[in-house]
Amino acid sequence: MHKDIVNKGVGAMSMDVKKNSGHEITRKEELNSGDYLIEVRAPLVAAKFMPGNFVIFLLHEKGERVPMSVQKVEGDRITVFFKKLGKTSRELDSWHVGDCINSVVGPLGNAIELKKYGNVVFASDLVCGHAENYAAVKGLKGAGNHVISMQSFPTKDDVYPRKELSTMADEYFLTTADGSQGIKGHYTDVLKGLLDENKVDMVFAGGDIPSLGKLSELTKRYNVRTMVTLRQIMIDGTGMCGACRVFIDGEMKLTCIDGPMFDGHKVNFEEVIARLGMFKEEESVAMEDYNSRGVCHERK
Amino acid sequence: MSANKVKRVPMPELAVEERVKTFDEVPLGYTEEQAVLEAGRCMQCGNAPCIMECPVNIDIKMFLKQVSLKDFKGAFLTIKKYNPIPAITGRVCPQETQCEGVCTLGKIGDATNIGKVESFVADWARKNNVREEFDVVERSQKVAVIGSGPASISCAVDLRKSGYQVVMYEALHKAGGVLQYGIPEFRLPRDVVDAELSYLSDIGVEIRLNRIIGQNVSFDELRDEYDAIFVGTGAGAPLFLGIDGEKLNGVYSANEFLIRVNLMKAYKFPEYDTPVRVGGKVGVIGAGNVAMDAARSAVRLGAEVHVLYRRTKKEAPVRVEEMRHAIEEGINFVELVGPVRILGEEGWVKGIELVKMKLGKPDKSGRPRPVPVRGSEFTMDLDTVVVALGTRPNRLFLSRVPGLETTDKGIIIVGDDLATNIDGVFAGGDAISGGSTVILALGEGRKAAKSIEDYLAG
Ligand SMILES: Cc1cc2nc3c(=O)[nH]c(=O)nc-3n(C[C@H](O)[C@H](O)[C@H](O)COP(=O)(O)OP(=O)(O)OC[C@H]3O[C@@H](n4cnc5c(N)ncnc54)[C@H](O)[C@@H]3O)c2cc1C
Ligand SMILES: Cc1cc2nc3c(=O)[nH]c(=O)nc-3n(C[C@H](O)[C@H](O)[C@H](O)COP(=O)(O)OP(=O)(O)OC[C@H]3O[C@@H](n4cnc5c(N)ncnc54)[C@H](O)[C@@H]3O)c2cc1C
Ligand code: SF4
Ligand code: SF4
Ligand code: FES
Repeated sequence: MHKDIVNKGVGAMSMDVKKNSGHEITRKEELNSGDYLIEVRAPLVAAKFMPGNFVIFLLHEKGERVPMSVQKVEGDRITVFFKKLGKTSRELDSWHVGDCINSVVGPLGNAIELKKYGNVVFASDLVCGHAENYAAVKGLKGAGNHVISMQSFPTKDDVYPRKELSTMADEYFLTTADGSQGIKGHYTDVLKGLLDENKVDMVFAGGDIPSLGKLSELTKRYNVRTMVTLRQIMIDGTGMCGACRVFIDGEMKLTCIDGPMFDGHKVNFEEVIARLGMFKEEESVAMEDYNSRGVCHERK
Repeated sequence: MSANKVKRVPMPELAVEERVKTFDEVPLGYTEEQAVLEAGRCMQCGNAPCIMECPVNIDIKMFLKQVSLKDFKGAFLTIKKYNPIPAITGRVCPQETQCEGVCTLGKIGDATNIGKVESFVADWARKNNVREEFDVVERSQKVAVIGSGPASISCAVDLRKSGYQVVMYEALHKAGGVLQYGIPEFRLPRDVVDAELSYLSDIGVEIRLNRIIGQNVSFDELRDEYDAIFVGTGAGAPLFLGIDGEKLNGVYSANEFLIRVNLMKAYKFPEYDTPVRVGGKVGVIGAGNVAMDAARSAVRLGAEVHVLYRRTKKEAPVRVEEMRHAIEEGINFVELVGPVRILGEEGWVKGIELVKMKLGKPDKSGRPRPVPVRGSEFTMDLDTVVVALGTRPNRLFLSRVPGLETTDKGIIIVGDDLATNIDGVFAGGDAISGGSTVILALGEGRKAAKSIEDYLAG
């Protein structure tokens, strides 16, 4: 898997450390007005990825390390969904097929336990959740489960990657907040129905954190086990900085190495939401700076 | 001009008003004349106690003599025999408790400034492109080195010089360990670190970045592929206080703060994308090198900084030069206080509650134990709290190598030859000490290289 480059002898040509990791963009597509898809070459990630894992993107020397969920692996390439939020996601949006990303590190975090649960739900309502939804449905089906996939969007123009999920899952539910496509409402509404019918043994979910809070409250009432992805702000992703700390049942855990999925019934969602806001002001400074320069950093 | 036996040749430094605005290195370094003069102060003692106290026993007497005779290249080669990264150790070694601490000159005046002459020699060599030349007899055996801090660097260099095929695995996107992500540039400029790392590549050590052993490359894969393994994973996991309020926004571990500032260059935000938020008033808990690095970084980011320490300055485990610089830079030392809880408002730090301490009987470290004074609690307004309590080995690696013997704190247990309980696996540096110094880590890396050679020959 790794190519062996061994420099023989003293005074061999200086090897540029950076060349170790250039990740070529092989595909880029708009998903809707707010989200896009990027496919990059990341052989190490592709070889080892399991549903539940995530990666960290570093666009260039001056970039920020941003955690990302992986939708799927094909050959030595991985696909991720980006939400156009701030500096990094918008800068990458201006890149093209053939450009190289400095680092795509991973797979990181723990894979979800792929075993037979029975009737399993995976629900998502935001970009990262949708990527996880896809990866997990595939994995959970392989483990012999009856998999129910749910996706929620604001409106019909936002919907993706619906076709792929609806054909892969045993049951598929789509909701939009305005009812323009699928069921009007949110996945929690659909899930409530299934819970009432006693049709759910296990729930996984990813996406918007407040929704995950509501979901966890709901499933707790029905005593159905629920694992949710917490997207804490991260830097190294290896357990060295403590930035991603969360408190699960009062005990400190690191999202990067203990998560990113945690038992939703033990998470204090208010705390998680508060920590996500830590760099709000700086994020808008970065965005303004980026806009005012109107150029992106040099890239290969 | 002859050398003054009592006083050191003063080290030119960046003026205080300049330094608090930049991350440029504070000591400006000796000129050739100054270095010659300072090296000439050495009395060439018969017993040279300095050498015994250098953890890698550099022939200090010899290299100082060479510098005094302007033989800078000779001096460089002398040092390099013992120490692959003198530009770094000359800058960061706690010289006052090592080589310089026992210097005979210290009895009549200032000890020879061994550290600064050492870094002068290394800087001279770098600027003049002078390198150590040696022949390598290639061997086919392969060794994996995990981590890229000083322990791993020295282990890799020695093994490579002996002809082994060495591959270094580093979890982060940049190599160097603490030298890269921890120690700030005003103490250790990154071109110095990068030069040492490019030397590794030049002699044929392959560096693979973004490889987290136990996570995206398994330990078993390494065991299958390599004839021996060196574990230099350091002790990078931060400790927290475990007090109320630590969840608040505005509380950083020193590691997070320094990783943002150094590795991600948050001090150049928004040119660099990673932010760090300091606020007007910063409290740093602790008084070691890590705390002082965080405090001095915060000063440079424009904050008013208070170091909150449970003992007094006298007991602070920080390099003397760093303490002096910190005080010059206006950092306020609050001695004899312990944190009780961090106070918040709307999720953000607002202040800290402290309790006064008094010094009691000496503890295991020989320093007086701080004892809280009942009822002496008081509060202090702060916007940011940086917790610099120390670190411990990263549990990610350990949890993925279940057979490896460690203490209950995750410190890898090794024998005198630095062999772990797993056949062909050796360890050194902070991973076996829980946190020490660059030069001790380096010494262990060299020692492990020797043991690995014996192992592979055996
Ligand atoms: C395990 C994990 C998986 C993720 N998967 C995806 C994914 O598949 N697609 C995707 O678009 N994003 C994902 N994220 C979030 C992603 O890392 C952030 O959206 C990204 O940092 C935004 O960077 P930016 O510079 O574009 O925006 P910024 O300006 O940095 O941030 C804009 C907004 O995003 C929020 N934000 C910043 N950093 C994070 C973070 N680490 N997590 C959550 N919110 C953040 C901020 O509060 C702010 O409101 C994931 C995060 C984690 C931890
Ligand atoms: C802020 C700070 C200031 C300091 N100041 C001084 C000073 O002035 N003088 C002094 O002598 N000492 C100082 N020290 C201590 C000194 O830096 C350390 O003792 C020394 O760096 C330890 O070296 P090491 O090689 O054992 O590990 P480290 O330098 O810690 O390097 C370990 C490396 O291993 C990598 N790694 C960890 N796990 C894995 C894995 N699973 N796979 C791949 N890679 C992995 C890490 O990312 C890291 O890069 C300071 C430490 C800090 C944090
Ligand atoms: S390596 Fe450190 S202890 Fe040894 S001579 Fe140099 S500065 Fe002194
Ligand atoms: S102890 Fe001091 S004076 Fe004596 S040889 Fe060493 S450096 Fe020179
Ligand atoms: S991201 Fe640094 S500890 Fe998790």
